[in-house]
Parts: sequence; C-alpha cells; structure tokens
Amino acid sequence: MPETPDMPETSEGILDWLEQAGRRPEGGLRFIDRAEKATWFGWAEVRARALAACGGLQALGVERGDRVALVFPTGIDFFTAFFGALLAGAVPVPLYPPARLGRTEEYLRRTARMLERSGARLVLAESRVCRKLGGAVEPALGCRALTDLPLGTARPVQAFPADLALIQFSSGTTVDPKPVALSHRAVAAQAEILASFWPDTTELRQSCVSWLPLYHDMGLIGCVFPALARDAGLTLFAPELFVARPALWLRTLSRYRATISPAPNFAYSLCLTRISDAEMEGVDLSGWQTALNGAESISPAVLRAFCNRFASWGFRPEAMTPVYGLSEAALAVTFSDLGQPFQVTRFDREELAREGRARASAEGREIVSVGRPVPGFRLRIVDSGGHDLPAGAVGRVWIQGPSLMEGYLGDPEGTERALRDGWLDTGDLGFLHDGELYLAGRAKDAVILRGRNHAPEEIERAVDEVSGLRAGSVVAVSWLPEDAPGEVLALFVEATREATPEELAALPDACREAVLGATGLAVDRLEVLTPGALPRTSSGKLRRGETLRLYLAGELALLEPAASLLMGALA
Amino acid sequence: MSDEVILAGIGEVARVHLGWEGIVTPELRLIEDLRLDSIRLLTLAAEVENRFRVLLDEGDEAGIETVGDLVAVVRGKLDA
Repeated sequence: MPETPDMPETSEGILDWLEQAGRRPEGGLRFIDRAEKATWFGWAEVRARALAACGGLQALGVERGDRVALVFPTGIDFFTAFFGALLAGAVPVPLYPPARLGRTEEYLRRTARMLERSGARLVLAESRVCRKLGGAVEPALGCRALTDLPLGTARPVQAFPADLALIQFSSGTTVDPKPVALSHRAVAAQAEILASFWPDTTELRQSCVSWLPLYHDMGLIGCVFPALARDAGLTLFAPELFVARPALWLRTLSRYRATISPAPNFAYSLCLTRISDAEMEGVDLSGWQTALNGAESISPAVLRAFCNRFASWGFRPEAMTPVYGLSEAALAVTFSDLGQPFQVTRFDREELAREGRARASAEGREIVSVGRPVPGFRLRIVDSGGHDLPAGAVGRVWIQGPSLMEGYLGDPEGTERALRDGWLDTGDLGFLHDGELYLAGRAKDAVILRGRNHAPEEIERAVDEVSGLRAGSVVAVSWLPEDAPGEVLALFVEATREATPEELAALPDACREAVLGATGLAVDRLEVLTPGALPRTSSGKLRRGETLRLYLAGELALLEPAASLLMGALA
Repeated sequence: MSDEVILAGIGEVARVHLGWEGIVTPELRLIEDLRLDSIRLLTLAAEVENRFRVLLDEGDEAGIETVGDLVAVVRGKLDA
C-alpha cells in the first residue's frame, strides 16, 4: 500500500492565516481584467474588507453555522464575501454565476436546487445577479449585494477545527446535486499539503496564476488557500476570459514570473488550438516550474503536444505534472513527482479491457500516471467487496487522508456509501504500477467534461420529450478514447418499436438539441439502439458502466438504419 | 454599421472561431442550430465583443436566442 510520511498536525486554519497574512509585500491578490490591466489587494486589505462584510452579516442576523451562498465572478467581492462569511462563523457555499448567452431558466432552476440542498439562509451576489435570482430563490435572509448589507461592528467568531469551513458542489445539477461539506481542519490540512510542494528559497518566491473558477475546488482550495497559508501572491483572472483568449493565461504567467499554475486537460488542449504564435510574442514560460494537470482524464497526446508546441517559448516538459484529486478529499490525492518528466505507460488493451489486469506492453494503450499519494494520504485498490487487490489489478480507488469531507450535507445514505471506516470510496477505477496510480475508468456514474462533473441523469432527462424514444431508456456516459484530446460524451438511446422512419431520422438531431438546450453540453457520439438493448440490473436500473463496456467491445445492439442515417449526416 | 455588416461579422466569427461552415442567417438559433455548447457560447460572446469593440452585459444578453437577436443587440450598442 503506497504511503508517504505524515504531515505534522496543525491547529492553524484559514482565518489564522488571514490574520497573519499581509506581512510580506508580495502577499496578496492580483486581478487581471480583459485589457490585461492588474488590480492589487494585499492580504491585509482583503481582511479589512472581509471584516466590514462580517459586521454587516452579523447585523443582518447571520449566525454561527449558517450557510451563506456566494454567487460572484472572479474579483475582490468574492473574497470579501467569502472571508466575511467565515469571520462571522458562517459556512460559505460558492455557486457559479450565470454563464454568457446561456439559458436563464436552466440556470435559475439549477441554482435554486443547489440553494435548497445547501440550506443557505442568505445569498450574497452582485446586484444584477440578485435581480435575476429574485423570485426563483427565497432564502430566509434574502439575496443581497455586499453594498446592501447593514453597517455593523464585526465580532469575529473563533472557528474550531471540526466546524464546517466550506460547502462545495461536486457537480452542479438539477437532479442530484452533491453538497460536499468540508471542515476547517480538512481545508487547512489540504492547503498545508499543497503549500508544502512549493517551498520558497532565498532565490525564489513561488507564486501562482489561476483562471480557475472560485466555485471549483482546484481554484479555491488549490490556489487561494495555499497562497494564503504561505502569505504569497496569487494572480487571478476569470474563467470566461481564459476561454475567450487562452493566450491570456500564458502571457500572465510570463509577465508575473509565476512558478505554479493548475488547469484541467481541456485547458492545455484549448491552448493548442486557440493560441496563435503572434499572441505569444515576448512570452517566456521558462519560469513555470509546475504546470498541474488534473480534475479530469488526461490525454497523453495533449501532454506531448503542449510540451512540444510551447517549448519554443521556454516551457519545460518536466514542469507538466499530472495529478489526481476530487472534491470529497478537499482536492489533491496524488501528485506526480515535481520536476520530473511525466510518466506515460502502455498496457495491453485486451487484458485491461477483458480481465482488468494491467500488464505493460510495448504495443498497448497509453495511460498517464497520476503519481503517488500526497503527504498524509494512503490509497488502496480494492474489489467490489472491499478486499485489497494486488498491484496491476484494476479496482476501486479507496483513499484515506487528513482532508476528507465530513460527508454530503443532508445525505446520510450517500455519505455512508462514500465513507467507510475512515476510507473514501472515490468511485474511480484504477491500478498501481511501479507504485504509481493509473486511472482506468469509473465505477461511479459521473460524466466529467472540461474539469466539471455532471450527473448522467440530468443529460438523460433532457431527451425525455423527444418522440420515438423509449421512456427511461437512455444512458449518458463519458470516457477518454485512445488518442482523443479529452473525454467524449456519448448518449445511447433506445428507439420505440413503433417509431416511424421519419422519427428515427430526426432522432439524433432532436436529442443533440435537447441536451445542448438543457445542459449546455454537446453530445459527441449518439447511438440509437434497438428496444431493450441497454443492460439493466435485475431491478430494472440502467447499468451505465456496462453500457459503455458493451459499446466499446462492439456488443451493443445498434439500430442500423438510424445509425447509418447518422453517419450520413456526419459525412 | 448596417445589420448586413454586423451579420457578416458574426458569420466571420462563427467561421474562424467556432468552425461553422454553413451560411449564418438571422433565424439561426445559437444553441439548437449553431450547436454551441457553453464554452462556445462564451467564445462567441467574447469574439463578437472584440470584433465590434462593444461590451455586452447580462441585461443585453438575457433575451438573445438567435443570430438576429445578437445582431440587434450589437447594433444597439454601436448606436448608443
């Protein structure tokens, strides 16, 4: 069982760090806008603003343990609200702001559902978002802008290590949102683990650039808290700016000589397709020591292509660091060795697919290693009965460490399924090879695209109204095909026996439209199946993992006419 | 700037940044017809802003469903 030395136990938490921070001139937050203009807030300034918000929240009646939802874009207001709520003893619940040109009704429905599940007593948001949310959500203390808080004297509340520090949603969905509850102890332990990877020397002060959303664990816990713990500088810009202009990421890294920056696989892929050489004029990536790559399946092809393309601007391949983590562990579980080339190994396809055994083979399928457990974490690979499997056998990844969640808020059954005797069943499938973890699919039903988790049910329900489909006979799955730049989303639908040729012909387009409209996700592969083709359990529940396995093995009964029509449409 | 010029500009954005190969007409719906997922919607918004040097806020964006709606919002911004 791979294990790394324990981290020393600490009683300090994020609020202690916030109080102590601001002693170094380079400690604080820098926000970059779309014109690449920077605005700077030292940690002392961040705290002063948070104290004012704390006073306002307390005057409003916010009490210890109350959940306060935060809906802000990347900017100082997010931090004022976040730390203000924490200082008042409340539990922040960061939610995502409305997407550009997206469907408002969909957004409101989703947000309302997450607010309900989190039990938030108050929503803090920009006033334009408050106007949008008004009516759709009615928390006890309302929806307010920071400027609408009453004036009050802050009486900061001392947080205990076991108190909740944060609730983050592992997937934003209307169907089954999972509010992950993290204690101050867990959040601080995770921040210390991460901070330990970036020791400062007299020659080098490590600093981070991030455009990751602040409602996402890799953005908030992965970047903000370690920067705070180390009293370091952190340069932030909004995710929508990254998507619109990926070069902004690399330019910002270069301009501020940052040493660390994390992103999911899709971001590295986007840099390859959406950055022109002209935009890289004057950029120097030689100072980028650690390019963390996590939060979704990692494509070996993308890793190599990124290293090759950006070597011309000084990017060093050993900076590329595949990692693995999940919200339920606060974030990081395994890290590849820093400063070493990333590890890709080929494994025999047949044995992997048919027998769940990983045997290195020169002609096999490439999988990226995500490294070893971070300090304080242990991991096991177990069978469905919880028994340890030998190295090389594919099984469920179970982990133990100092930053596991307390549970899913308000969901004792879900918590019991995930946490057993101090071990967290990640729901991921993987195996150990030379002491390193390789991921090989998922046992849990989750669609993971662009670093974000989606409940398959939500995608499946989107096509409920499409005619010609058998009700409740739809499966959504995502996986990383060999040589693909990222996970693809597939939708398997069963046609009814009565479906007319016209209905069958219209099915693929109708399904794609419905999914896009309801979820904002594009379906990469759509397969129409004969009635009864989807595998089910004895109680009639759909078996998503088995559906994918059959499909990849070519054993799923596709409805030929519709399939050929679809191929015609694609050709 | 006329609607035709704005429409042509949006068509250019769709071709260059979204890989759209067909003709862009005002009736096309962004999500259902142009098949834009959330990342591509964002790209469209940002590239349209860059091209016409306007800033769209959420109020402007709220009612946009078709290419024609987007043309009207951009024109409104340019005229203001």
